[in-house]
Amino acid sequence: MNSAVVKGSIVKDRVKNGLAWRILPFPSASSSASRRAQRKDLLNALRVSESPVILDFSECRSLSFEDIDLLLECLAQVAGRDTQLVFVAGSSATRVLLEVTRISSLAPVFNSIEEVLAHPQVAAERDSEGRDKDHQGANQSQTLWSA
Amino acid sequence: MKLGAFVMVPGGDDFTGIREAQPHGLAAFENPRAPYSSRMPILGNDVLQSWMERVRKLGVPSLWLASGAGVAAATSALAEFARQGIERLLVIELKSYAEMDLADLVRFHCERRNPVTEAHDAGGQLGVRLLDRPALRATGEKHESCSSPTKSAQTPYQFSGYAKRILSARERQELVGDGLTGACAMRPLGTQIREQVWIGEGVKVATSARVIGPTYIGARTIVRAGATIGPFASVERDCVVDCGTTVERSTVLPDTYLAPGLLIQNGLVDGGHLEHLGWGAVVDLEPAGLGGRIPRRGARREPFCATSDGCSGGDNALARNFSFSSSSAASQPWLQVQL
Repeated sequence: MNSAVVKGSIVKDRVKNGLAWRILPFPSASSSASRRAQRKDLLNALRVSESPVILDFSECRSLSFEDIDLLLECLAQVAGRDTQLVFVAGSSATRVLLEVTRISSLAPVFNSIEEVLAHPQVAAERDSEGRDKDHQGANQSQTLWSA
Repeated sequence: MKLGAFVMVPGGDDFTGIREAQPHGLAAFENPRAPYSSRMPILGNDVLQSWMERVRKLGVPSLWLASGAGVAAATSALAEFARQGIERLLVIELKSYAEMDLADLVRFHCERRNPVTEAHDAGGQLGVRLLDRPALRATGEKHESCSSPTKSAQTPYQFSGYAKRILSARERQELVGDGLTGACAMRPLGTQIREQVWIGEGVKVATSARVIGPTYIGARTIVRAGATIGPFASVERDCVVDCGTTVERSTVLPDTYLAPGLLIQNGLVDGGHLEHLGWGAVVDLEPAGLGGRIPRRGARREPFCATSDGCSGGDNALARNFSFSSSSAASQPWLQVQL
């Protein structure tokens, strides 16, 4: 595992089955200034990442409307690119919010980073071409993990 | 034998729920720390009223009603009823909906000659019990809770009919489904506009919205463009479901606003709180602007509450169908209701 600090946010890289994953924590700082900085860093990291990205909500207790905005920006950031984005909810409450907002229909949601890495479907999606196929795979993955 | 009846509307720390107290129902009598209330309507129906109807069928002319903090006070004062000449007291804790023949419970109690008979179903206690005078006296002498006498080895009354616990979001949703499909005696309160679809008075549904039965939409609720309600959904009175939101296999409690574009599945929404039945999680919708409580309009009055002259009233069926004694509200933690 490689770790790097990007302006206060700990970004980790994990390699599994020859596939390098970039793990980005979702902003959870208590002060608004720190959160703003973290949001900027997150979007920058997403913009430049060539690896598939895990957006990790483990440190988030709840989601505000600004968080929902940021999530949609993240999805827009990877749209049309070959960068795969998956979410690690970290808690059932976050998972429910991702479902309620229908964001879980746009990217697969997992309970933990280990689940992402252990799930072959996700890696297969990376190799698939076309956004429609990616989307279908995401839904399959979601079904598998939402039991 | 003089039979009395006491209905307790629970509230407080011993009940799990998804929200803090809201100014519904028993206004002055409700515990401000109560979780979501057993007075919340189910398909527009008030479960309290259904129990009161059952008590009326027993031939009991009036009952006492306590709620929230008043329940504890009333429980410790049960011996008072024995002193007032009550020889047998039916105590109903409002935590379940049960299609119970109370006359059969009384018969069973008499045959067994138990001082206390507790009604059970396969899931345990239903919150309905009969206490004879010695048991009433014992509660006063020992300052025990009402349920204490039942801890002794009494033969419970095994109820095999339809029952659901209304303080459980899951069983509540099951009751909604059963009411919508006719699997229980409870019927949605409203007009059936097509097969398995009922709506209350003053409902507004946008032409582009979809209503899929079985479904219930309560009085004055607004369903905006592109929204989908159902199947197996109950949106209770005075709610707003905003554009494009889907409510499916879920209940939305009164005075709730749901923001545009949401997907509510297998949940119970109460104002800004959502309890997801599948994940067992309770989430706060308000910080993300996804939902919230709609302030109650001034024109609508509380279902019933104590007033300066001790009487109670309101604009709901309870106040229309029952009258409230002016005797005790000021000095005692319960109301007397003429049936």
